[in-house]
Amino acid sequence: MASEDEINLLVIVVDVNPIWWGQQAQRDPQFTLSKCMDAVMVMGNAHMAMARTNKLAVIASHCQGSHFLYPSKSWSGEDGGGNDVSSSGDGKYELLSAANNLIVEEIRNIMSKIEVTGNSTDTLLAGSLAKALCYIHRLTKELEVGQEIKSRILVVKAAEDCALQYMNFMNVIFAAQKQDCLQNPATTDSQAQKEETETTNVMGDFFVFVFLY
Amino acid sequence: MDEEPERAKRWEGGYERTCCVSSFPGLLWNMFHPQGGVCVFSHGQVRLGMMRHVYVVIDCSRSMEDQDLKPNRLTSTLKLMEVFVDEYFDQNPISQVGIITTKNKRAEKLTDLAGNPKKHITALKKAVDTVCVGEPSLYNSLNLAIQTLKHMPGHTSREILIILSSLTTCDPANIYELIKTLKSLKVRVSVIGLSAEVRVCTVLTRETGGSYHVILDESHFKELLMLHIKPPPASSSSECSLIRMGFPQHTIASVTDQDAKPSFSMSHLDSSSGPGLSLGGYLCPQCHATYTELPVECKVCGLTLVSAPHLARSFHHLFPLQAFVESPVENLQGDRFCQACQAELKDKSMFSCPSCHSVFCVECDLFIHESLHCCPCCIYCQTVP
Repeated sequence: MASEDEINLLVIVVDVNPIWWGQQAQRDPQFTLSKCMDAVMVMGNAHMAMARTNKLAVIASHCQGSHFLYPSKSWSGEDGGGNDVSSSGDGKYELLSAANNLIVEEIRNIMSKIEVTGNSTDTLLAGSLAKALCYIHRLTKELEVGQEIKSRILVVKAAEDCALQYMNFMNVIFAAQKQDCLQNPATTDSQAQKEETETTNVMGDFFVFVFLY
Repeated sequence: MDEEPERAKRWEGGYERTCCVSSFPGLLWNMFHPQGGVCVFSHGQVRLGMMRHVYVVIDCSRSMEDQDLKPNRLTSTLKLMEVFVDEYFDQNPISQVGIITTKNKRAEKLTDLAGNPKKHITALKKAVDTVCVGEPSLYNSLNLAIQTLKHMPGHTSREILIILSSLTTCDPANIYELIKTLKSLKVRVSVIGLSAEVRVCTVLTRETGGSYHVILDESHFKELLMLHIKPPPASSSSECSLIRMGFPQHTIASVTDQDAKPSFSMSHLDSSSGPGLSLGGYLCPQCHATYTELPVECKVCGLTLVSAPHLARSFHHLFPLQAFVESPVENLQGDRFCQACQAELKDKSMFSCPSCHSVFCVECDLFIHESLHCCPCCIYCQTVP
């Protein structure tokens, strides 16, 4: 059983490349970005509901940048700042409903405000993964004495890879491997990591990739 | 004799201010590096020796039983060596390390030059029980290292790192002749002293182009060891050639496959332990010998076998990330948030990337330069690193 002092952090990186999702809507009208975000929110809620000390972060990876959907910079994380967020009347755990509302609002902002330049369908994941690792690093530094943190990154990848990103991607993977080694020194042998599929074998329970294509 | 740098040594300048000097050095070291010894020194456009063959010579003489490092010098050294071996193979995956110990006026090899960290770590763990006796022999240990290093190809970098605690050495022949031989073989020798500065080591490191440091305490010892992990700039006289490497694919066959044939792994020929027959593994593209792990040099055809991520790990040495520009937080208009970790910028200074002008906090700057080696926001602005 997990001890009280162990914090489980889940960072979900979602690929929201609007061009790919637009093409996807034409391929299969049933599966849209909003359905994907619903599924992601269910996963996030389930994770936060498992234990009081579980933490969540969601990053949206766009072709022009990556943005933290949750926790948001303007949200302090306590209920005091949520007066304008109407609490759901059906008795849902407030933290979950606040998180969901926040995610929905942020993704709406992102999709409407950002102008898409170019027509690349590649996904630029390395930057979002780098930000995820910086966030994990920051939370690890902010721990109190005696607390441990176990972190994982769940990547929901939509579009294909950009070959130009190879070196950045590998740098991020090695940095994650090093961080993992501090907490879980079981896997030290590295196998071929050319494709993300092989990477999942190496990373074990640190990275989980979900491919939508 | 030879020209020596004009330095006022303690015994030359008289005994002035010895009380100040003995208690301050540790404090000065920390003041110099407020962020815990972060030294962002990029080589720039310099050729680096990335395929390295390093022999580490560990002094196991009587002086290693001294307890100024807890619990004694030998145990402390061996523990730090394990950390060194791990970090070394992390930063230099296509390099090799060998360990030599010296005591009782003799030198012997603890482990041969190999690219597998496990062997070295097992040997280091077992070496904790060795009895420290006698005097070390610099000549014999250097000679033993040279026997193997002189056969290494010219494009690789040949290095010897000596951890010397004794102030004496017992040599059967003239060590200055050996220094000339080392110079001609282009071997770089560096020394980490645990007691005090010894003149013969100064000459040795100066002639061969290595570095000589004497430790102040255990944390300084670790810092000095870690300095040797970065690949050194290649000397101008080393050959520059195209190196042949093989990139084997990992094959996994199951018993039900018709073509599956079990084979012995070539890497276990010498050792009696380890798995025998296996169905899959890495096949050398030239001779199809099987190996269980990489990187390795094929025993049959001599081809260096690596996988692409091993080379990718070395890439950040060649193209180091630029240092971020420090500036006061007051200059920033609008929201004061670190763009990597979303934390509020509470410190007085912030760091901004010179290419994409994104703002980062102190912690993220350290993390990005030490582990990540890529700016999280530059990836969107430029196409190729």
